[in-house]
Amino acid sequence: MTSHALVSGRAPLLRANRVLPLVLSVVIALLVAAPLVKILLATLTPDGLQAWTTVLASPLSANLWWRPLLTTMLLGLGVAAGCLLVGGFLAWLVTLTDLPGRGLVATLSTLPFMIPSFAGALAWGTLFRNERLGGSPGFFQANGFDVPDWLAWGLAPTMIVLIAHYFSLAYTIIAAALSSVGADLIEAGQVAGARRGRIFFGIVLPVVTPALIAAASLTFAGAVANFAAPALLGLPVRMQTLSTRLFGMIETGETERGFVLALLLIAVSAALLFFSDRLVAGRKAFTTVTGKGGRIKRFPLGAWRWPLFAVALVIGLATSVLPVLVLAASSLAPQGGALFSNWTLHFWIGEGGDALAQGQAGLFRNPMIVEALWNTLKLGLTVALTTMLLGLALAYTIVRNKGTWLAAVLSQLAFLPLLVPSIAFAAAYIALFGAPIGPLPSLYGTFALLVLAATAHNLPYAVQSGRSVLGQISNDIEESARLTGAGLLTRLVFIIFPLTIRGLLAGAILVFVKMVRDLSLVVLLFTATSPVLSMVAYRYASEGFMQFANAITLVILLICLAASLAAHLIQTRVQKWKQ
Amino acid sequence: MAPASTAPAQDAIRISQLVKRFGDVSAVKDVNISVPRGAFLVLVGPSGCGKSTLLRMLAGLEEPSAGEIAFVGRTVSSGTGGVIADAGARDAGLVFQSYALWPHMTVAGNIAWPLKVARWSKADRNARVDEVLALLGISALRDRYPAEISGGQQQRVAIARTIAPKPSILLFDEPLSNLDAKLRIEMRSELMRIHRATGATSVYVTHDQVEAMTMASHVAVLNHGRVEQFGAPIDLLRRPTTTFVASFLGTPPANLLPVTRVQDRFVFADVALAPAAFAAGHERAQLLYRAQDIAVGRVGDGHQLVGRFAEAAPIAGQSMVTVMVGDLRLTGMAEGFFTATPGDEVGLSFSSTPDAAFTMEGERIDP
Repeated sequence: MTSHALVSGRAPLLRANRVLPLVLSVVIALLVAAPLVKILLATLTPDGLQAWTTVLASPLSANLWWRPLLTTMLLGLGVAAGCLLVGGFLAWLVTLTDLPGRGLVATLSTLPFMIPSFAGALAWGTLFRNERLGGSPGFFQANGFDVPDWLAWGLAPTMIVLIAHYFSLAYTIIAAALSSVGADLIEAGQVAGARRGRIFFGIVLPVVTPALIAAASLTFAGAVANFAAPALLGLPVRMQTLSTRLFGMIETGETERGFVLALLLIAVSAALLFFSDRLVAGRKAFTTVTGKGGRIKRFPLGAWRWPLFAVALVIGLATSVLPVLVLAASSLAPQGGALFSNWTLHFWIGEGGDALAQGQAGLFRNPMIVEALWNTLKLGLTVALTTMLLGLALAYTIVRNKGTWLAAVLSQLAFLPLLVPSIAFAAAYIALFGAPIGPLPSLYGTFALLVLAATAHNLPYAVQSGRSVLGQISNDIEESARLTGAGLLTRLVFIIFPLTIRGLLAGAILVFVKMVRDLSLVVLLFTATSPVLSMVAYRYASEGFMQFANAITLVILLICLAASLAAHLIQTRVQKWKQ
Repeated sequence: MAPASTAPAQDAIRISQLVKRFGDVSAVKDVNISVPRGAFLVLVGPSGCGKSTLLRMLAGLEEPSAGEIAFVGRTVSSGTGGVIADAGARDAGLVFQSYALWPHMTVAGNIAWPLKVARWSKADRNARVDEVLALLGISALRDRYPAEISGGQQQRVAIARTIAPKPSILLFDEPLSNLDAKLRIEMRSELMRIHRATGATSVYVTHDQVEAMTMASHVAVLNHGRVEQFGAPIDLLRRPTTTFVASFLGTPPANLLPVTRVQDRFVFADVALAPAAFAAGHERAQLLYRAQDIAVGRVGDGHQLVGRFAEAAPIAGQSMVTVMVGDLRLTGMAEGFFTATPGDEVGLSFSSTPDAAFTMEGERIDP
């Protein structure tokens, strides 16, 4: 190998290295920065300033801002507290005790996050809906239980549904932290003479505090940004959160007010994430000091083993299996009150024109729904592809230019969407692309706009998985292949491709799942002419066709579960050689 | 050979007929050891020999399956009563291999917490923390977090935390195994200084026979859960009772030659080594030769074996020369720096009598 060959082999790469960051900077500026700047600018016009006044300081502001803010904060606090309790309790049981069936409980505890929150909300409605709003009553009401309003509608059910969805996020974070508390740390406390309670409050709890704060802030931000649950369970009784208010404003044409609310929602959510990040950063981010480690100390539960197992099992089943069963039964039952009788496949494959469902045809005979299914799959696949490509390119550029201001700016911008609730992000896209820009037509309502917005919003995850994928190929690995005399093509095929493809696929599948079950981003950006499944389900639910809504949700669920399973299989195969 | 022990009640640690079973596997089998106050007992053996399990039973972290442990005459654990005195209530401190520093507490916090648990007053706590920090020479680190200090410093903090409540028994679980070679030698003398300064009885687990020989007042060599031999380090070196002890202890390792009796001599590879009377009544035996009893090259008219040179290492002006005779590795000594090419023929001359003889099963044969 001569130095000449090396230089000539590297020259085009060097040139590419200069072009790529430029292109990426422009792309990311357009995708992330421009919409956010534009939505801010849109509220600084005379109309926009008027909207600020209306929202914040006018007779209307109690309804537009203060009450939704209060509801949103209550919801966020309640969900964060509930998730910490439920997720933390399950994580403790699974990682630090001798609970029977720990594997089963662990699996059940991670499932609910795979189930979209509107599935939970729909299942809740199917069971607990009462007669206050007319329509067919839910299962309990129809079978003689008098469901009070507070349990059927509003804050309490929204909170419960969101806890049932987000607790698995808290569980994952807390379980990871607890399993890093080595047996030695606890035994060192025992040798010092400390009792169980003292060890728990003096050692275990402080060590996992950063994880608790992270779990609380992420679930809080998730609840604050959620649209589906408050829309389905709160809107019918006029309970407004910031995200439903924002949706309502834009739907009714009060665009500037909607933009103002979007900015305020971003401020609330970003401030919280920012401060919680500061709280756990620096010295307080405890790294467990360990030489051997890995061994876990399990507390014996004694007589409580089986009762606690039963509690954990009930929580797991009620949040993952039960909603699916309820949705499935409901999609087969003509009467919402009689979930388990007169089952019919009408809502799936029935021909229209008979007495059921006001003469509408079944799911798979309705061309609009079949089109929505294809749209959904197309959207998921397209966004998975674009996001992973962009994410990989960004990750590569950030890693290669480490330490430069360019890398710093790119990585800050790429992670910015994490702080922006998706419905507010959608509003920003409307602000930028809702009107024609120069010769370019308005993109509002097009598939392209949704792909752009979704790509930008999923960038943080894509860059993260791009980084971990690139981490699989160290320079040493590439160089050792080069020393054997392998050319670029050989290296690509035999070294780089096998090392990265699985990680990329797993990342792409996760983006796909996020898109297929997403409602809060598409609800503002899609129009009735080219709908996706989640939108159709939401619309059916608003119109009271619960069976159709539930059936479509079930389809979404099945797609998500199949994709998650595929991701899981791929991921375990990725780590096969690490065992 | 048991060290001189006075009345049982006076023993700081007394382990009798101790057994630990995990399911069908016996990790510790019928262990009997007692040491007086102030002793430095080293439990040494290859990994998986049960030494850490034994230490964890001493600490009260594992229950014995049978037998008994008594500290200063007080039974703290037994096969019938389980853990009678809790880990925290047996006046013992444990230094973990991983150090087990609590990552959310500063150095001073780590040292003070056990004192807080033991309800020391604040003033006493502060004074004691200052005292042990000074004893270990880490006063400057008092407000750092464990993640912010080096491995050697973490080790010192772990020791400081353990000795702070003034336990009368100190337990060490391979405390030096995560340190680099130079630091390890430094900490070795540091630990012995602390042992003397605290006046405690120490039990120290290691797989490193050099640590065992340099630090111990008493050594127990463990193998497959059993005590192969227990005694003072010098006694174990001088009179190993099994081939396992003979080959495990000492640098360079002792040589064991399997021999067969031919008329009135024991013979290895056609070379007559020792008179048959050396292990009377045995047809076959293993003869123990120290490296210093095997000279490289022909010396006088001694018994000579020829093998192939494998490696040489200089040690204190001499060379430790390892030669392969068939599949057997034999180590002898040569004056000055010995050099040869691997595979060269090298002669080994044996002194007239071996150091000891063992049966083929490894038991010592006393002539």
